[in-house]
Amino acid sequence: MILGARTRAMALLALLLPALIGPACVRDVPYAPEGVLVVSQEQQASWVRNFNPLTTATAARWPTLAGVYEPLYVFNSVKSEFVPWLAVAHEWRENNRVLRMTTRDGVLWSDGQPFSAHDVAFTFNLIKRHRALDGGNVWGFLEDVRAMDDRTVDFRFQRVFIPGLDEVVAARIVPRHVWSEIEDPVAFPNENPVATGPFTEVRVFRNQVYELGRNPNYWQEGLPKVEAIRFPALPGNDRANLALVFDEVDWAGNFVPAIDRVYVDRDPTYHHYWFPLTGSSIFLYANTRRAPFDDVRVRKALSMAIDRDLLVEVAIYRYSRPCDATGLSDAYAAWHSPEIAASGDWVDYDIARANNLLDEAGFLRGPDGIRRLADGSPWSYEILTVSGWSDWVRACQVIARGFRDVGIDASVRTYDFSAWFQRVQEGRFDLSLGWSFEGPTPYIFYRWLMSSETVKPEGTPSVGNWHRFGSASADEALAAFEAEPDPGRQKLLGEELQRTFVEEAPAIPLYPNPSWAEYNTRRFEGFPSAENPYADPSPNKFGRGEVLLVLTNIAPR
Amino acid sequence: MAKPAETRATGISVWLKAIRRDRKANVGAVIITVFVVIAIIGPWLAGSPDELVGMPLQPPSTEHWLGTTGQGQDVLAQLVAGSRISLAIGFAVGLTVVLVGAIVGVTAGYFGGWVDSVLSLLFNVFLVIPGLPLAIVIAAYLPTGPFTLGFVLVVTGWAWNARVLRAQTLSQRRRDFVAAAVVAGESNFRIITREILPTMTSLMVAQVIGSAVYAIGAQVGLEFLGLGDVSSVTWGTNLYWAQNDAALLTGAWWTFAPTGLCVALVGFGLTMLNSGFDEITNPRLQLERIWRMFLGQRRIKPARSTPVVSHD
Amino acid sequence: MRFILRRLGFYLLAAWAALTLNFFLPRLMPGDPAAALFARFQGQLSPEALKALRETFGLTEQPLIGQYFTYLAHVLKGDFGISVAYFPAPVSEVIGSGLVWTIFLAGTAVVISFVIGTLLGVAAAWWRRGWLDNFLPSAFIFLGAFPYFWLAMVALYVLGFTLGWFPLGHAYGDDLTPGLSAAFVGDVVRHAVLPIGTIVLVTLGGWLLSMRNTMIAVLGSDYVNLARAKGLSPTRVALRYAARNALLPSVTGFGMALGFVLGGALLTEIVFSYPGQGYLLVQAVRNQDYPLMQGIFLVITLAVLGANLLVDFIYLWLDPRTRERR
Repeated sequence: MILGARTRAMALLALLLPALIGPACVRDVPYAPEGVLVVSQEQQASWVRNFNPLTTATAARWPTLAGVYEPLYVFNSVKSEFVPWLAVAHEWRENNRVLRMTTRDGVLWSDGQPFSAHDVAFTFNLIKRHRALDGGNVWGFLEDVRAMDDRTVDFRFQRVFIPGLDEVVAARIVPRHVWSEIEDPVAFPNENPVATGPFTEVRVFRNQVYELGRNPNYWQEGLPKVEAIRFPALPGNDRANLALVFDEVDWAGNFVPAIDRVYVDRDPTYHHYWFPLTGSSIFLYANTRRAPFDDVRVRKALSMAIDRDLLVEVAIYRYSRPCDATGLSDAYAAWHSPEIAASGDWVDYDIARANNLLDEAGFLRGPDGIRRLADGSPWSYEILTVSGWSDWVRACQVIARGFRDVGIDASVRTYDFSAWFQRVQEGRFDLSLGWSFEGPTPYIFYRWLMSSETVKPEGTPSVGNWHRFGSASADEALAAFEAEPDPGRQKLLGEELQRTFVEEAPAIPLYPNPSWAEYNTRRFEGFPSAENPYADPSPNKFGRGEVLLVLTNIAPR
Repeated sequence: MAKPAETRATGISVWLKAIRRDRKANVGAVIITVFVVIAIIGPWLAGSPDELVGMPLQPPSTEHWLGTTGQGQDVLAQLVAGSRISLAIGFAVGLTVVLVGAIVGVTAGYFGGWVDSVLSLLFNVFLVIPGLPLAIVIAAYLPTGPFTLGFVLVVTGWAWNARVLRAQTLSQRRRDFVAAAVVAGESNFRIITREILPTMTSLMVAQVIGSAVYAIGAQVGLEFLGLGDVSSVTWGTNLYWAQNDAALLTGAWWTFAPTGLCVALVGFGLTMLNSGFDEITNPRLQLERIWRMFLGQRRIKPARSTPVVSHD
Repeated sequence: MRFILRRLGFYLLAAWAALTLNFFLPRLMPGDPAAALFARFQGQLSPEALKALRETFGLTEQPLIGQYFTYLAHVLKGDFGISVAYFPAPVSEVIGSGLVWTIFLAGTAVVISFVIGTLLGVAAAWWRRGWLDNFLPSAFIFLGAFPYFWLAMVALYVLGFTLGWFPLGHAYGDDLTPGLSAAFVGDVVRHAVLPIGTIVLVTLGGWLLSMRNTMIAVLGSDYVNLARAKGLSPTRVALRYAARNALLPSVTGFGMALGFVLGGALLTEIVFSYPGQGYLLVQAVRNQDYPLMQGIFLVITLAVLGANLLVDFIYLWLDPRTRERR
């Protein structure tokens, strides 16, 4: 032939080469050696080496905040209780103006040096000198922190502020003997961490994967049972889910759509998940500075126009349930009052009642079926949400449909995150989806929902309380809460707050956000589950140290 | 991606004739017509793309020909509805890109001198800066919507057309009829619009088509990354949502495959349409065709190797 | 010589234009980085953390022009600033080895695509009206019309997911240490087959067609006819006479193709979680990490410009006519 047979054969071979190599390259599973737990929590394209627990830029690798470093107390959101960790006891003194914490004895840093109260005092004073490190804003209420001896630290408050305990005990403690030498703790990447946590030795660090080995001097005898934890770089949710499904990952905190079908059905023996509803709550915020949303009847009617069952099914695959009228998620199970919740009848889907309530309130429909304000302008509103967040977008679509049934010309408007965030913070919106702020008690939750102290005028950016609602009775209860150390009386105040919320409907609760956790029991056991709910199962719950409870419990099979 | 081929200047009537004659172009024309028709009348027939009409993630059935999405919307309805915006933006961008390219390229080619140097520099720089990263960077910051998308695509796509049209203008400018017009005292503007541009219409039509292919593909890519308006229904956002609902993981290929296939078909059809243009403007190919016709009339089968014909 | 200087001057200008574009673009847009980061931790971070975040980033109050010249000065020193999302890592560290993988992916794909496409183009032109010419170009045009990422995802699904023939992502297995060992290189090749394969499939058609069309024109030239008349072997005529000259226009397109493929490689990297620039750029954009975005964009642009310059030199070497120009 024209071109030599040899040349043609070679060309053909070149084309077919991939098909020939293919079958020889079968994927190997499992990836990691025995005793190495593979975790997927952060979704990054490439790892950058940073284990600084103090920087709020959240640039530190997981589990720096709860796994490498540790707090004074760990908060267990499933049992709603504090677990003493680096501190063993606390005491309020001098009319609740001084908080005295007693630190644990016999704790060593990973380099062998002893841990003491001096490290605690040092950490707080470091944060005071570099305010960019003060994520919990503890110096907003602290006046002075000093170590009285090797095991005692006294926190002097500016005023009586009992909820301040929650923030103080959540701070991670860093070693004085290392950090006193650091010139710029804000920019310090802390590449070789010296810490008290279960995993402190950086065994491997590459841009595609890193691995943390166990702390040789860990204060809990025999723990952790896991030898090391490994983190492959998985950019994006889709990729992370793929790794999870193919047994490349043992523990993850991903959002997985249709999880039974996608994950569990593949291997029902070993693939498990548990999504307790202990995240924040998702609300529909109506700007209460604008008519007609300043009328509580309107807010309640709007709430009744939302088919929450459909919303929960469509937006998040029925992983959650509709919120009740208190707005509380299951993280507050110990505070939640079922009677008060039941008294809030405005969260059931009832179009007829909604229409009646709106008519009663005097907002009648115009000739085109759209309701009118007193001045005649039609009820034409946009519901704002973030364009990338598919679950929110879908939720808004369901809400808009419901609103159209009660005479509102409702539409969904998406913005990219920062544009949306700017708008809601400045209060330049009518309706928007949003989250709630969380803490160990309902104090923070309700403070940002209805405290007059957090209300800023429209146009002035506000970190929370975007709907700008202030309630006098809530203010009273919150002020009392700040001064109340007794748990029994705190609970009563919590019920007061719930009652106020149900009565005044500052915002429209939709559903509690689940805490995401998937785990694979092929190689490891000891994960929290519905059958064994000893803590929150999600690796995402590192804010108050909860992940430590899990990391110290998982063991190889 | 060769340098702009030596093309003959032709009017649009020649192009239309060539399309009708060439088999590949016929196929392309049919495909595009089908899609345009679907885009125009389809949404009335296929139903609402936003309505939640069934259980999520249902495979194709008699009730829903292409199954349902992760929320329970009808995939076929979404496909049909999406074709409108995708094709509209594709063609709009294609037209705009050629327009901008024509303004810059023809001006540069006609006036020469420093005007040419500056404009050539401009489009050469744009040619060399990588398109998709630039598109991502710009699109991410402007408010989402069809206009942003269109703007971004035009900015990253106009330079190639400018270069081609400049080359063409340069060759046309030397022709006698242009010299005659100059001598006759016609204004530059009239010369450009009356004498030069008409000779390039078929080239520009081909460019619109080629740019439309690029525009549709790039648009889908950007929307897939989430940089378009995700609450609108377009082919790109359909793919975005399919991925968000883990189309591959759940095995719901019907939410993903048909849209991709449609994009490919449209691109393919448009390119086929343009191949007709290739055939008529490459003198070598045209002569070949004539030669083959000649042989065919005499019942002689052409041999495998290329015939020896003389150049223009 | 003048040719080289002119080209160099052009590329320097293009680089400057890219730098300036890079700088002004993000600053003209609304929003700020601290807010974007804050969103990732809905309700978990205290509201006061936002203020602390802003402080951390030191979002400066300097006038725009001042920032611009500072920026230029830093870039010339190789300092791309500090990343906002990966604070306090410098941008050059974050980009780091990622660039190597992107260039490896895109570069190899372009070269393979070029070689195979051109060879096929030669074959298609040589046997006009044969099955090769009738079938292949259309087939590859069809393949090329598919969006990159779509084909990549389908390949991942079918070949990686369902059949299990190839790894699902990454550049190499996590257990191996990078180095020049046979095991590592082999593993890299294994992981690269799917990503490179999909890019090659999509871009092949372009080279094929371009080479085919040019070849057809060249085949009619006198010197080719003479060569055949002299009785030289068909292979020799096809390759050393015809193809070599038909190659020139394709080579000029090579640099531009590299730029194009680098862009497309971003999408492929996202699908295969290849540790390159792709997802890094998208993430940087989502986090409004100005310094990182600028860094990646710049680095990719400079790589493309460099490649174009290189190609210009190769063209100079290949085509003696250009040496005599002006």
